[in-house]
Order: sequence, then structure tokens, then C-alpha cells
Amino acid sequence: MPWPKETKYLGKSTPRVEGPAKVSGRAKYTTDVAPAGVLFGVILRSAWPAARIKSINLDKARIAPGIKAAILAHDGEFVVHYYGEELAALAGTSRNAVLDALQLIEVDTEPQPFVVKELDAIKPDAPRVFAEKPNLGEVPTKDTGSIDDAFAQAAAVVENTFSTAIAIHHPMEPHSYAVAFEGDEMTAWASTQGIFSVRDGFARSLGLPQNKVRVICEHMGGGFGAKSSLGAEGRLCASLAQAAGAPVKLALTRFEQALAVGNRPSSFQKLKLAADADGKLTAFQMEGFGTPGFVASAPTAAGGSGVTLPMPYIYKPAATRVKQSGVAINAGASCAMRAPAHPPASFGMESILDQLAAKLGMDPLEIRLKNDPSEIRRREYEIGAEKFGWKQKYRKPGSGPGPVKVGVGCAGAAWMSGGRGTQAEAQIFADGTVEVRVGTQDLGTGSRTVVQVVAAEMLGIDPALITARVGDTRFPPSGTSGGSTTTASVSPAIYDLCENVVAELKKISGLEDPRSANWKQACAKVGPSPLAVTGRWHDGLSTGGACGVQFAEVEVDTETGFVKLRKILAVQDCGTVVNKLTCESQINGGVIMGIGYALYEQRVMDRRSGVVLNPNFETYKLPGIADIPDIEILLLDMPERGVIGVGEPCTIAAASAIANAVANALGVRVTSLPITPDKVLAALGQLPDTGVATALARDLDAAFAQVASAPASTLSPETVA
Amino acid sequence: MNAFAYVTAQTPESAAELAHDDGCFLAGGMDLLGEMKESLLKPKTLVNVKHLPGTTEVQIDGAKCLIGANVTLAALAAHPDLRRLVPGLAEAAAEVGSPQIRNLATVGGNLAQHSRCWYYRHRDVQCRKKGGTACFARQGESKFHSLFTGCMCLSPLVSNLAIALAALDARVIVQRGRKTETLTLAQLYATAWTTPAAHNSLKPGDLILRIELAAAPGARSAYLQLSEKSDFDWALVSCAAAAKVDDATLTGVRIVLGAVAPIPWQVDEANAFLEGKRLTDETARRAAELLLREARPSGDNAYKLPIARALVRRTLMKLVA
Repeated sequence: MPWPKETKYLGKSTPRVEGPAKVSGRAKYTTDVAPAGVLFGVILRSAWPAARIKSINLDKARIAPGIKAAILAHDGEFVVHYYGEELAALAGTSRNAVLDALQLIEVDTEPQPFVVKELDAIKPDAPRVFAEKPNLGEVPTKDTGSIDDAFAQAAAVVENTFSTAIAIHHPMEPHSYAVAFEGDEMTAWASTQGIFSVRDGFARSLGLPQNKVRVICEHMGGGFGAKSSLGAEGRLCASLAQAAGAPVKLALTRFEQALAVGNRPSSFQKLKLAADADGKLTAFQMEGFGTPGFVASAPTAAGGSGVTLPMPYIYKPAATRVKQSGVAINAGASCAMRAPAHPPASFGMESILDQLAAKLGMDPLEIRLKNDPSEIRRREYEIGAEKFGWKQKYRKPGSGPGPVKVGVGCAGAAWMSGGRGTQAEAQIFADGTVEVRVGTQDLGTGSRTVVQVVAAEMLGIDPALITARVGDTRFPPSGTSGGSTTTASVSPAIYDLCENVVAELKKISGLEDPRSANWKQACAKVGPSPLAVTGRWHDGLSTGGACGVQFAEVEVDTETGFVKLRKILAVQDCGTVVNKLTCESQINGGVIMGIGYALYEQRVMDRRSGVVLNPNFETYKLPGIADIPDIEILLLDMPERGVIGVGEPCTIAAASAIANAVANALGVRVTSLPITPDKVLAALGQLPDTGVATALARDLDAAFAQVASAPASTLSPETVA
Repeated sequence: MNAFAYVTAQTPESAAELAHDDGCFLAGGMDLLGEMKESLLKPKTLVNVKHLPGTTEVQIDGAKCLIGANVTLAALAAHPDLRRLVPGLAEAAAEVGSPQIRNLATVGGNLAQHSRCWYYRHRDVQCRKKGGTACFARQGESKFHSLFTGCMCLSPLVSNLAIALAALDARVIVQRGRKTETLTLAQLYATAWTTPAAHNSLKPGDLILRIELAAAPGARSAYLQLSEKSDFDWALVSCAAAAKVDDATLTGVRIVLGAVAPIPWQVDEANAFLEGKRLTDETARRAAELLLREARPSGDNAYKLPIARALVRRTLMKLVA
């Protein structure tokens, strides 16, 4: 790949350009936008987990003080499938006015039976989430090699059952929109990962021409996959603005974030893994399921293959049999969440692999070096082990002294990443300054700084001369920031743009090389009308297939079950490092998100009321600063591979490495994420028998048996690139 | 949130009078404002009691400590005399919430802290504590709930100070109508043991004015809690102990568990067992067993038993350390 090896900015650390605006409060987020006369929007949500909505009477709300618009989410009778589904919306002159008026809306309903727990929903006699479809979806199946022979001939076989909880995205900034119409033109400010997908969503749902809708996202406080396209709250915000004839802004509350804007599906995994006497993997079998909640648009009740995992993840045993599916429940739908399907797949696979290593008497690192097909990851394991001091720290599982036991673990991850079509334009001014416009958005990862760094490197000029503008559909198009594609999409477009700038400047200035020291002199020839140049993404500057490994060191208090992290080491490949500082910042965030997945986060549903019991940060526990250990990052800078996104790969292995470290400390395995004190104490056999564990095991067995006996589906299973 | 009147009280008597008819006292507002926003409380009147005379200071007179109800948890945690005389109390205060919360939250507010049960706190669940007919936790998710209760409600007391003050045998001075009354910590919460709807024994208009306690010479105190997170999290179980320690021999012992019952959980036999004994691993273990003898764990909260055992032992060990 043509990226330079000797660099001044590329791969070095440049502070993010919008940092000062963000920390000083000058940065404008969606809800900071206040078009003249803006109204506040609010959504009435279903208080029923399942019900036929016969009618909704908005009359009293409509005439309440300050109310300017009242609309229904659907016309006529309809069925709601989860607590929190949208019913109606109001716009008014203050937040208090709309909240008061919400109380005046009358809903005539016929409540229906519901089911909110996976192990209840999968039972054949469970209430159906969709009347016409069973809760258990189709069962995509993968069958390669002679699985039964392989298990029969193996030197060691291990089996276990794993599960992971539903995690909620919970970006710092909630889902927010502001919408204003002027004549037949619509402007929407959206907290979104995809300004163009939101633009097209508005055009489609409101019947507006695409060229009359403008979407702006100046700054946003994270999305993690939950803000990839236009949501119901955005549609309702726009409809309110139309109905009121005035601008409306609508931001969800933390409570609503927990119900209706996506989550990471749960997983239940029954795994069996075998190896020969050398520790080479020979056979893998899985029955699995999880819940995507209620997914309206999917081919089966359980949302197609969206909840199935790419198993046996990064490993390639010759014989595999994988049967998995999803089960629908009456809860908000899942959606892509930072490396969808990978963290649970990694957790199951890396856990059972460690179990196999223990059975064979092998070091977990050794079994990975023997079986990981990726040369890059094997190299990362070797670099990481040296840095981490694996040899000095590793002890046989459970062999540490004292009530507080120390353990170490490691795990690997893969992610497809990759770049795609992005265009950019620049204006070069006579004073040597440059304005670059690209219709990407800054998800919070620093895409402006990426533009700046690449342009500064390619033009050989001070980054301060370059202003990068993003987050407006009036700029040349780029894709949605999902799948860790933004940097790999934007950087090549800027590279191409700069090549074109240099070519044009050569012509104008007559200089052989208008870059670097000649820049000012070349630009002086531009004249009063700036030089306008375009560029586009092309192949050959970015690639996919990010590889990473992580090491964790933990201490576990065997008397209280409390897990304390001592250290995480992330060794990550992302090809050409564009900006080291923001790259490491992303990895810090990814590791922290993995810590949340490992130790704290789980959505809790109540069987009887059907509500989410922890729609807040009090009992939906996110790691706080005191929970974060020393995180060390080693980047493999490989300019020859081109740019590869790092946002998702860096979160995958964290929970697996932590879980393995806990198992190494204890000598017994906690097979369910998050690893909370109650589960540690249960794994240590310290709890009195209340019958709950037995009942759970029975339900799990029955559920797996159902998946095992289900006919194979034509839907294809997930695979790892 | 509903509309309400707002008044500032100048005396405890007028505060009690003003709040008597469907009013609430506003001090730090940490719990109150959250409950109002969730429509769990709809007071007609908010009575500002932040500046009532005699409620904002800590007074130390020899071994006697008077702690005003409006003293913030941050001030309590940092108070040099209290840290010296009653470290268990300062430690309990330091574990509440976050620095921002402790800067506003008050002693009185922490003692009057309402249930954090996730059914009680949910706007669309009508549980026993809110006058409904069922305790949802009993057949539902009871991970954070009580091991002991005398009524149908499983929600535990989560005030850190209540646990520490019970161990210190403190007295709570309450304005009740035109009089003041002096309650033990057991009395302050007794009603919650028997009445699902009660968070404590305070009646409408009852206002906590101050805490009184005496730190006897040679008396020690300690507090420990275990939460899922390292900071800014409620205790899964907490434990406070106080005793006079003479060469690892305990007298006047009081050991109390928190977050396991709607009251500070004390068992006389456990205190009596420890009385005059030299503390060893074994005596601490026996004391824990006596404290937990009557526990009725569910499948979800049985894990609190080993945590409580560990905390009892560690808190007692801290006492003699």
C-alpha cells in the first residue's frame, strides 16, 4: 500500500481538533440547537408489555396549556409488543408542559399475555410474541466434517454451557433530534452515526424529496450501533414539527434509552470442544440461542440469524456442528452493538478453549499459538506475553494462595472492518489554508482529526492550516459510521483528494512539488477564487481483517466474590495507524466497554410486570473510573496493510480475557456474564441450595434440546471474515 | 412532577407544622427530588429545612457528639474529630454515592432514605410499598433484597449511616409536633419491619433534628460494605461494629448488618456472645452465624450470606486491628 513509511503526522499523536470545544462546552450537540420558536417533543410509550391498542384519545392533551401538536404513532387499532413501544407524541412550549399533558392521554387497551425471559419464551406453551410465528426462530445450521468420529477419536473433550446478558448501548448522549421546516425544505439535527441514512429515512417516511432534506450532526456523544439509522423517535419528532408548524426537538431520557433504541442480544451457548494429544483442535459442537427482543421486520419471530454467533469464532477445527437460533420476547429490539455477535462468541469460544487447555495440562497461551490461524495474532500473543510477563504470572488454575486469588487470562479477536465509498472536496485558498468537506460524521472518534492528519501528511503542511468539516448532508457523501469503517473510508478519500490537489497546484503554480516548503508559494498563485478539488475512496489504501489479543490480570476475593481488575494489555493491529492518540483513545474505550460486559452490565426484565427493572445507571451498572485498571496498549503499526478500523475489534476480547483470568484465579469457571459476586460465590459452591440452580439447569437443558432437535434452516449462519 | 408550594421554615416547630399536611422536608434533596420526578411522591408543600438553627453543625463535647441533621455526608466523612472518635461513622458516610452526592446529601436525609427496591422505584409497578397488593420481588428479581423481614415487603434498608449509628448506639432527636422525641436506631426503623408501606417509623411532619452519641474512652468502631462496583454503588451487604477493645477483648459490643433487612439488622445473642471474648477468627465466625441464623434467602439473594459472614469477620478484625 502506498502510505508513506517515514511520516510527520501519520501514525503520530495529534490531539483531537474539537477537544477544546467539547471540554469548554462550546461544542453544539443536537439538543443545544435552538431554532427560533422551537418546541419540546415527548413520546407516550406503552405501559403494557403486550396489548391491543383499541384507541388513543388525544383530545384533552391537545388543549392542555402550551401544547401545540399531538399525534399518534399509528393509525387505527394496533398491537404493542413491549413495554416502552411508541404510542403517541406531543409537542409543546416547555418540557414541563408536555410532561403534564402526557398524563391526560387516554389509552383504551386490551392487555395480552406476554413473555420477557428467554428460557420462558422458548417453551412450546409460552405466550407468543407474534400470534402467527413461534417464538423460537429458524435454526441456521453449519455442519462440516465427521463430527461424531472426531469426538470419538479426540484425546480430550470438554463441554460446558455459557451465557451472556443483554447489554444496552447507553451512549452518553441519548437519542436526540431537532427538526425545522422552512417552506418545502427540511433541516434535521440528529445525533446519528449516519447522516445520509437518516436523510433517506426522513425522505422515505415523510414522502419528501431527498434533495429537500438536510441532516446535520456537528457533534455527538456516541452511538455504539444504536444510532445507525432513523429511529421512531426521529420520525415522531419530524411529524410533530409538521403538525405544529414549528421546529421541534426531542431527546430521549435515560429511562427510554433502556427500552426502545436497541441492545446487544443475550446468548446461551452449549459448547463441546475436542483436541488431539498435541492440543490441536479437532471438533466443535454448539447449540445456541439468544434473544433479539421483538423484531418486527424479520423473517422469523426471532429476527432471522441476527442473534446467531460466528462460531467457532477465530478457530478452525476440521469438524464442526453448529445449530443456533433466536427466541423472541416482549422487549425492545436489539440492534448492532459494537462488534455485533463477536463479544459473546469470543467469550464462549475462549472460555471453552481454556477449559480444554486445562484438561490437556497446557498453558492457555500455548494452545492459542498452536490453534490460532492468524499469523498476526500469533505475533501479537508473543509480543503481548513478553510485555505482560505471562510466563512469570501464569499459574495452574486455582493454585494461588490466600482468600484473594490472582489470575491471568488472554483471548483473541477478529473483525472485518474495511473501507468503502467516500467522497471529499477541498477548497485551497491563496493564503495557504485548506477547507476539507466530507459527509462523514464524528461519532466521537475524532474523524475531523483523521482528515486533518491525512491531509497534513500528504500536503506536507501544518495541520493547523486545515479545517475539516463533517456532519452535513450538503457535503460529498460518505457511509454510516458502523462496522469500524469510518477511518478506512475517509482516509483514502482524503489521500486521493490530496493527490488531486497536488496535481492541480502543480499546474497553477508551475512548481515541480507544491507541497511542504513550497506550499505557501504555490497557493499564492491560486488567486481570489479558491482552488476547488475533489477526491474519492479507492481500493488499495485500506483493508479489513483487524486482529487483536488482550491479556487480563485480576484478583478475586473468594469470600465475597468481588473481582478487581489489576491490568489489561491490548495488543492491536489496525494496519496503518492514522492518529495514534485517538486510536489509543478508542481502544481504551473498547476495553472499558468490554470490562462493563465482563463484570457489570445486564438488562434485567421482570417476569410478572414485563418491565425493564434497571432503566437507569443505578442498577444497570456501568464501570466507573474506580473500576478501571491500568490499560496498556501496544499498536502494531503496519503501513503495508493500509488503514483498518479499530473501533470494534478492540472491545471483543476484553471480557473473554477477564473471564479466563477469573477462572484461572479460582480454578472454577463462572460461565455467565457479567461476572458478579453472586455468580462467583455460586461457582465456588458457597451458596445454600435454594433449588434455583437446579431449575435453571433443567430449563436450559430443555431449551438446548429444542434447538438441537429443530429442523435446519435455509438461513445461513454467521461466519468470521 | 406535580405543582407544589415552597416554604422556608425558621424553627423546627414551624417546619413540622408546615409539613404535617402532605408536605415533605427539603434538605439535600438527593432522594426527594428523584422521587418527585418519578411521581413516587407528590407533596403539596416542600418545606425547606436547610438552615434550621442547630442542624448544620457538629459539636463535640468530650466524648459526646452532636451531629446536626443538615451536616453533609462530605463534612461528616471529613470531620477530624469524628474520624478519630467514631471512625465507623465517617467510613459509612464516605461510602455513600459519589463526591457530588455527598456534597449535598445530609445526615437526616440519609437516615430517611427511602427504599431503592427496583420495583418500588419503577413508575409503572404498583408494589406493596406503594399500596399495591403484591411484593413483586418475592416472585421476581430479588438480588438486592432482604434476607430478613417481618412483613410482605422485601425491600432492605440501605442507609449507610443507620447501620453505623446503630452500632454506635446513637440517639436520633426528632421533632414530632411541638415536642422533640429521642429514638434509638431500632425505634427509627421498627415500623418498616412490620408495615410494607413504611420506610421508617417517622410520621408525616416528623423531622430529624440531630444525632447524639457518646464515644466512650477506648471505644472503637468500624464499617465495611461490599458493592458490585468499586465506587458509587449501593452496598450488597454492609456491616458496622463498635466495642471497647482491650487487648483484642471486646466489651459493649454491637455488630449490625445493613442491606439485609428493612431495619439495621442486630441480633442480641450475637452481641452477647462476643461480650468479654477475645476476638479470633472462630468467635467472629460464630457471631456471624448467630446474626444470620434466621435468614430466609431466595435463590437470587442467598449470595448475601457468605458476603455477610466475610464482612462480619472483617469488620470485627478491623475493630481490633
